[in-house]
Amino acid sequence: MNITEILFWFLTALAILSALMVVFSRNPVHSVLWLILVFFAISGHYIMLNAQFLAIVNLIVYAGAIMVLFLFVIMLMNMNSDSEPQKNKWLKMAGTVAGGSLLLILVAALKNSEVQYQKVEGAQGTIGLIHNLGKTLFTDYVVPFEISSVLFLSAMVGAVVIGKKD
Amino acid sequence: MPINYYIFLAITLFCIGIVGVLTRRNAIIIFMCIELMLNAVNILLVAFSKMHYLAAATANPATNVGSEAQLFVFFIMVVAAAEVTVGLAIIVMMYRNIHSVDINFLNRLKH
Amino acid sequence: MNVIILSAILGVIMMYTGVMSKNKSTARYVATAGILALIGANWLEFAGVNFFNIDTRGMLEFTSFGLVFNLIILVCTLVYFLLSGKDLEEVGANAADYFALIFFILTGIAIVSAFKTMLMLFIGIEIISIPLYILAGSDKKNLRSNEAALKYFLMGSFSTGLMLMGIALLYGATGTFYTDGMYLGLGNITVMKMAGLVLLMISLGFKVSAVPFHFWTPDVYDGSPTVFTSFMATIVKAAFFIAFLLLFENAFGRMHSEWQFAMALITAATLIIGNITAVFQQSVKRMLAYSSIAQAGFMLLAIFALNNIGKQGLILYTAAYSLPTIGIFAVLMRMKDYTYEGFNGFAKHQPLLAALLAVFLFSLAGIPLTGGFFAKYYMLVAAMKNGAMFWLVIIGVCCAAISVYYYFRIIQAMYFREGADPGIQVSEGFKTVLVLTAVLVIILGVHPDWLLHLLDN
Repeated sequence: MNITEILFWFLTALAILSALMVVFSRNPVHSVLWLILVFFAISGHYIMLNAQFLAIVNLIVYAGAIMVLFLFVIMLMNMNSDSEPQKNKWLKMAGTVAGGSLLLILVAALKNSEVQYQKVEGAQGTIGLIHNLGKTLFTDYVVPFEISSVLFLSAMVGAVVIGKKD
Repeated sequence: MPINYYIFLAITLFCIGIVGVLTRRNAIIIFMCIELMLNAVNILLVAFSKMHYLAAATANPATNVGSEAQLFVFFIMVVAAAEVTVGLAIIVMMYRNIHSVDINFLNRLKH
Repeated sequence: MNVIILSAILGVIMMYTGVMSKNKSTARYVATAGILALIGANWLEFAGVNFFNIDTRGMLEFTSFGLVFNLIILVCTLVYFLLSGKDLEEVGANAADYFALIFFILTGIAIVSAFKTMLMLFIGIEIISIPLYILAGSDKKNLRSNEAALKYFLMGSFSTGLMLMGIALLYGATGTFYTDGMYLGLGNITVMKMAGLVLLMISLGFKVSAVPFHFWTPDVYDGSPTVFTSFMATIVKAAFFIAFLLLFENAFGRMHSEWQFAMALITAATLIIGNITAVFQQSVKRMLAYSSIAQAGFMLLAIFALNNIGKQGLILYTAAYSLPTIGIFAVLMRMKDYTYEGFNGFAKHQPLLAALLAVFLFSLAGIPLTGGFFAKYYMLVAAMKNGAMFWLVIIGVCCAAISVYYYFRIIQAMYFREGADPGIQVSEGFKTVLVLTAVLVIILGVHPDWLLHLLDN
């Protein structure tokens, strides 16, 4: 095993374990912290794939902004494991079995997909660097980029409408 | 790395997210699990982008095949950020009224 | 492109109107003028006049199908503003912002009726959905409205997650996001493409509330303020259908026979469950929610058949379903009692409104001489022409017969029962618009060709 493989397995294990902890920890604050760990692991994967721009954006936007917002709301509501509502045992079991079956089906189906022999070389290529992505974003993808401003505007108006006092 | 590893990683994270959506009752946790699903999609798209790049780069080393998927990931993050503002606003609005974020709370009120 | 840019600008103008003007009704007048301008701009684009020449790199393509669809959507929105604009002002204190959100939704609808890549589909659907979550929860103190917003939001983002997974798998298999470039032919079907297709089908099934992904619909439609239910159940639902149809035609059209059976099952389930549950409802608002599921079953026939008649039928259905439903909701909003009993003796006290309501209900039930008849007829012919599954046509006909029962219950209550005066006040303008809408519905039922001729341009 070379260093890349070791890192890959380490980050994968970290991501999956933390994701499981997000779902199964009783305290909402712990869930948020585990989710931040998942995002760090995923950012590590991005760096290994030489997608540096996305790695940084992932950290800034997800771990930095979105998760802090979540944490802020949870603390505002003063939630802890005692006030945490729980589904009954059977519903939980059914949900887990359903998700597990979906996992099994997807893995079994995609195990022998048409791309199974293709490889991913992290070190090769510079498409993930900001030079290339910026150029593509502002030439080929300028229309969706501008249109997404409408999305932001509507989210902004919406948050104000919902949040402000009547 | 074979692409299959990345596919399995993404699917596993995706299914963990689905399990969370199905088994939890706290609206905020459910929402976090949905974010987890989106992140699973992101990592899958980046892996596919590099895969298609590798396939195209053997013929033409200067190609930028694969940047479209990375930009798609960028747009997913944009949309997720917008969705979070609206979602948390709705959850806070509900909390102000009933002092709970339990998705079954309203069902209990009705009966 | 005209509509996309102009309606985004109009949204911003509406935001400023809310700040600048203290008078509540200003926003409504500006919005109505704006929608008229949008209709004009759409018509000009149809005639070949483009205000903006933007190279979209093939991401958007403005076909006559999409433009005619947009035209219908805009006319329905105009009717909606004229009939329900006043009620919209009553919800909360932010009327101008609601109008702004509706204009942003129209931007999204213009995008999904023209998309050529998955990226535009995704952004368009999100631009439609995010303002809707807000509108569903706009009655902030009402717990049922809160519940509707939360449910809609969680289901909407969950189905977006499924859709993105589907898109990612399709990208992995084909290496492109362009729907035409995917070359999803018959011969080279693989598990990965199939998994992507199934995920997309499920997520769009959520959006159009097809059975078995419909369970959120009654609660959301029932809980939201009625004026926004009217918008959600008609205009927005039609927009999701156009996205569904364009995606499955452009990207998966060549592997039609692979997914046709699954679509037939979904369609049959939607028709049966939607119609049968609607029979047992006591509240008219809830009945209309289930009837929107039932009507979605008919619209799904267009996607099942995927032929030219089906596309024409979807255009016709959008008009013949949206206009009457908006009309019924506009009257329902003024009633105090949402149950069937509330309509008892309605014809005696409001003869004109009762007659117009009867026309609208006839159209929804698909009685000849109204638009709904031809819409249902086109859908069934499309499914029959397709020829693969005749049993679906039979189910469709039976369900159309069942639907007559619950629509006629209102007519029966209005005309053959005695009841107290519901005491609703309507202005002359409201009545005029309602009469014009009913005339439009009848014209569609007598002579639908003029609408369909537009498609040949």
